[in-house]
Amino acid sequence: MSEGFSLGVFYTIVRPEEKAILAAADARGIAVQRIDDGQTTFGLERPAGLPDVVVNRSVSHSRSLYATRFFTHYGVPTVNTPEVTELAGDKILTSLRLAERGIPTPRTVVALSPEAALKAIEEVGYPAVLKPAVGSWGRLMAKVDNLEDAEQILEHKAALTSPVHSIIYVQEYVPKPDRDLRVFVVGDEVVAAMWRRSSDWRTNAARGATTEAADVSSELRALSLKAADAVGGGVLAVDLMEAPSGLVVHEVNPTPEFKALTAATGADVAGRIVEYAVRVGRR
Amino acid sequence: MTQCPECEAAVVNHDKIPGEVFPCTDCGTELEVLRTEPFAVQPAPKEAEDWGE
Repeated sequence: MSEGFSLGVFYTIVRPEEKAILAAADARGIAVQRIDDGQTTFGLERPAGLPDVVVNRSVSHSRSLYATRFFTHYGVPTVNTPEVTELAGDKILTSLRLAERGIPTPRTVVALSPEAALKAIEEVGYPAVLKPAVGSWGRLMAKVDNLEDAEQILEHKAALTSPVHSIIYVQEYVPKPDRDLRVFVVGDEVVAAMWRRSSDWRTNAARGATTEAADVSSELRALSLKAADAVGGGVLAVDLMEAPSGLVVHEVNPTPEFKALTAATGADVAGRIVEYAVRVGRR
Repeated sequence: MTQCPECEAAVVNHDKIPGEVFPCTDCGTELEVLRTEPFAVQPAPKEAEDWGE
């Protein structure tokens, strides 16, 4: 590695993923700057001593949005870019982009007020899934089986004061097997894929789903790369379900976790992220 | 070595780094490494509404 090159890792908390990225950089002789998103300030002038590229690992969508903008403003490229962070970090914007690119995705209806939410759920039909537009790990998601469920969930949402909860994102419930797929994309390559199985309808690894390596068929590879490209490309985890009509993409995650994927597949995900970031930093 | 701020169990630094989160082996509380020299921990930050992948 050439003298002086350094890689920034912008983080909220250090999880096994961030430790793996730090170790992968160290193993490649790359100097690392750890940047704590809760301790950093951003002025309008470029500060001294910035890294050559920043890998955004903040778990906060709001912090990620502004930090990637500031680093870009200072002339430091970020992985992912601010545009990808904004788009893929918001399920509504992601759904719009997937639809624009003709990528199969579950039927989705958005209501901009709790008053319109019931109408959105009825338009999607039962059962429906309500998700927060921002944030993940399966938190605050609800499966709505009938009108009674819908009214109860919406009453709870109305009690939450944050404006985030007045935007209601409703998706059809896809009658999938007890598993879904996560495909990890770095640049224009699929690094690894895994099945996530759960008896719960939510198959997030963070919710205790079990995982195993998945073969990457040419169809899966092509669809995953197309979905990653649709949101702007970079380091992305594409989540897909097996709908009766075929594979559908339901999420594209811009700061994905990969501990479970690494364990299931043995893929050097952290190493691939670091190598990609170095390429971005040298452009 | 330090103590868990919740249950006061002994918490040992095994190659941990500042910012790292891990559960207390006794009570399960998620802890965050404040610093390594001297080793100090605090309860990990709570998940905020916009946290995710």
